[in-house]
Amino acid sequence: MNAFFHSLRKNSVLWITILVLVAFFATAAHGMSTKDWVITLLRGLSVGSLTFLVASGFSLIFGLLDVLNLAHGTLFMIGAYLGWTVYVRPDTFIDILTPAALLASGFVLAPLWEVLAGRLQLGERRKRAWPWVGLLLAVVVLFLTLSRYPISTWDLENFAQSPGTYAYMADQGQRLLPPQAEFEGISPALDMAGILFGSLLAAFSLAGLSASRQPADRLRIPWLRIGMYVLLLAVGFGIYAVNDTLSVTLNELNTTWLFSIAVLVATLGGFALGALMESTLIRPLYIRPIYQLMLTLGLSAVGIEMVRALWGRTEFIMPKPALFSGAGEGCPATSLSGWLEHQCSTIFLLGGRVRVYNEILIPLVGIVVLIAVWVLLKRSRLGMIIRAGVQDREMVEALGINVKRVFTFVFSLGIGLATLGGTLAAPSLGLSNGMGENYLLNALIALAIGGLTSYPGSAIGSLLLGMMQQFIIKYGQIGIKLPFLAEPFKPTPPLVPASTVLLMVIILLVLPQGLFGRKE
Amino acid sequence: MENLLEIIDIHTFIGQYHILQGVTARVPKGSITTLLGRNGAGKTTTLKSVLGLTAPGKGKVVFKGREIQGMRSYEIAALGIGFVPEHRAIFRDLTVEENLKIAERRKGDFGRKQDFIFDLFPDLERLIRLTGSHLSGGQQQMLAIARALVADNQLLLIDEPSEGLAPVIIEHMIGAIRQLSADSTVLLVEQNFLVASQLAEYYVIIEEGKSVKSGKIADLVKDQGTIHRYLGAA
Repeated sequence: MNAFFHSLRKNSVLWITILVLVAFFATAAHGMSTKDWVITLLRGLSVGSLTFLVASGFSLIFGLLDVLNLAHGTLFMIGAYLGWTVYVRPDTFIDILTPAALLASGFVLAPLWEVLAGRLQLGERRKRAWPWVGLLLAVVVLFLTLSRYPISTWDLENFAQSPGTYAYMADQGQRLLPPQAEFEGISPALDMAGILFGSLLAAFSLAGLSASRQPADRLRIPWLRIGMYVLLLAVGFGIYAVNDTLSVTLNELNTTWLFSIAVLVATLGGFALGALMESTLIRPLYIRPIYQLMLTLGLSAVGIEMVRALWGRTEFIMPKPALFSGAGEGCPATSLSGWLEHQCSTIFLLGGRVRVYNEILIPLVGIVVLIAVWVLLKRSRLGMIIRAGVQDREMVEALGINVKRVFTFVFSLGIGLATLGGTLAAPSLGLSNGMGENYLLNALIALAIGGLTSYPGSAIGSLLLGMMQQFIIKYGQIGIKLPFLAEPFKPTPPLVPASTVLLMVIILLVLPQGLFGRKE
Repeated sequence: MENLLEIIDIHTFIGQYHILQGVTARVPKGSITTLLGRNGAGKTTTLKSVLGLTAPGKGKVVFKGREIQGMRSYEIAALGIGFVPEHRAIFRDLTVEENLKIAERRKGDFGRKQDFIFDLFPDLERLIRLTGSHLSGGQQQMLAIARALVADNQLLLIDEPSEGLAPVIIEHMIGAIRQLSADSTVLLVEQNFLVASQLAEYYVIIEEGKSVKSGKIADLVKDQGTIHRYLGAA
C-alpha cells in the first residue's frame, strides 16, 4: 500500500492526466445515446488496435536497435498485399513457393560454406576475386532461371484479369482459377536445377566474401543445417509435384481457413523480410544513424514503387472471410450463438449494430497480440534480454549474450507485427498504396502520446488516438450541443487528424516524455 | 606464477583518438591486480579492450593461453570473464532477481551460485523483488558484482567499485571482493589508492595510455616518490 502511495506522489502529473483523459472520454460518451457510444468505443478500439500493431513494432525496434524505421508503414502495406495474394490468388502463392524454397536452400548451408571457403588454398589475388566472379555468375544463372519459372498471376493491363476483378469475383463468391502457367522454352528439370545451382553458388560466394576476414575454424559437419537443406528441397519439389491439386484445394477452401492461412503467411513473411532487412541492410549502419534514416526512408519509397509495379496503383478490396460476411436470414445476429450459426457480418450489441470483423475481431486480435508480446517481454529469458538491451546493449553483450541475434529477432518481430496488422486491416480498409503512410503517422502520434520506447505506452497511446478519432467522427454526425450556439457544433472531417495532433500537443506540454516515457 | 590474463602492448583507438598507446599487464592466476593512474589515463579503456568492447587495433590479449583480441565481446565474455563496469550498469527496469538471472550462461547457474552470492551480499536477498531503479548506490554496486559471479567466471574485471560510496559501504565492499578473490582472479581499476592498496597484490600504473610501471603493491606502498609522480596523492 505504501509503495502505491509513493508511486502516486511521484507520478502525480501522470495520474492527474490519466484522470482528466478518462473524465474527458466519459463526458464525450455521456453526451451520446448508448448505441452510439458502444459503436464509437468499439471503432476506437479497432483503429487503436491496428495502430498498436504498427506502433508496438516501431517502438520495440527503436527502443532496442535505435533504428527509426521509416519503412514501417510501407511494410504494413506490403503485409496487406501479401495477405491479399494468398487469400485471393492462392494459386500464385503456391507457384511462388517452389522457386522460393529452392532459392533459399543454398543459404541454409552458410556455416558449411564459410568453413569451406576459408579452406580454399588460393593466391591472394584469386582469393579476393573468385567470390565476385561467382556472385556475378550466380546472378546471371538465377536471372535466367527465375524469370522463366512459370507463375500464374494477374494482368495489370487487362481489366478482366486485374487484381481488382479477381478481388471482386472472390467477393461475389465466384473465385476464378485461371489456367496454370506452364514452362516455355526450357525444361522444368533444367530450370529448377539452375535455381538450385545458382542458390548454392551465390551462398558460397557470399561466404567467400566474409571468410577472407576470418581464419578457418575446424570442420564440424552441421547436420542440422543439412537436415534443413534436405527439408527445403523436399518442400520445394513436393509442392511442385502437387501444385495443381493444391491450388484447386486452396481455391475451394472455406475462406475463413484461407484467411487464417493468409494472416499466418503474411506474418511469417514479414518476419523473414525483417530478418533479411536487418542482417543485410541495417546491420552495417548501426554506427551511422543518419544513413539509417535515409536508408529506411529510401526503402519505404522503393517498397511503394514495387507494390505499384506488382499490384498496380488502383485500389481494390479484400473480401471478408466467410465467418464475417453473412447477410441473409437471421442477420444481423442478436446473440453470439446466432452469429456463429449464420456467420453474420453484423451483430446487435447494446442496441448498436456492430460489424463483427471490423469492430470485434480486429480489437480482439490487438488484445491477443498485446498480451502475447507482454508475456514474451516479461516472462521469457529472451524478453528479459530485450528489456535489458533497451537500457544498455554493451552490458548485455559483456555478459556473454549475442546481442546481434536478439537485434535480428526484434527487428523481425516488429516487421511481423506490422505485416500482420496490414493483412488484418485489408478486409476493412481495402488495399491502396497509401494505407501504410497513414498508419505510420497514426503510430508516431500514438508513440508521442504514450512514450517513444515504452511498450504499455504504445498500447495506451494507440488506444487514445483511436478513441479520439472515432469520437470526433461520431460527433461530426450527431453534433455537440454547445452553450452559446443555436445549432449543434459538428466537427468537420479535417478536424479528425487535427484532434489527435491536438491531444498529442496537450499531453506533450504536460508530460514532455509522453505518458509512460522515461526521462533521459 | 601462471598468468590467467596477459595484455601485451595493446593500442586502442576510439574514433580518431589513440587512447591506449602500448599497455602491457600480467594478471597472475588467483591474484588481485590493480590498474592505477590518473583520471583519463586509460584504465577503463584497458578493461574494455580486454572484453573487446573497444577492440584493440594492435597488440595481443591472451586469456587462459588463448589469443582473444579481435573476437566478439560476447564470445570473449563467454570464455569466463565477468565485467563490473564503472557506474555499475544495473538494468533499472529489471528486478534484482532478473538482473542476476540474465547473467546465466547455463540454465540453473543462478540456483547453483545463490547461496554464495547471498552469503557475500545478504542485502540482495531482501531486495530480490525490487527493480534496479529502487536500489541505492551501494546496493547497485553489490548487485553489479553479484551479477558477475552468477556464471562461472575465472576472471573478474571490476571498474571503480568504491566510486561514490560511503566509507562504511566501501569497507563492506573491500571485504566482499577479498572474499570472492579466493575463487577467482580479479583485475581491478580503483581510483582510491587506499582501497587499491588494501586489496591488491600486484599493480600496473598507466600514464597517458601507456603502462609505465608494474610490480608488487607492497613495494609500491614504500615508494612514495612513484606514488607522488604518477598518482599525485598518497
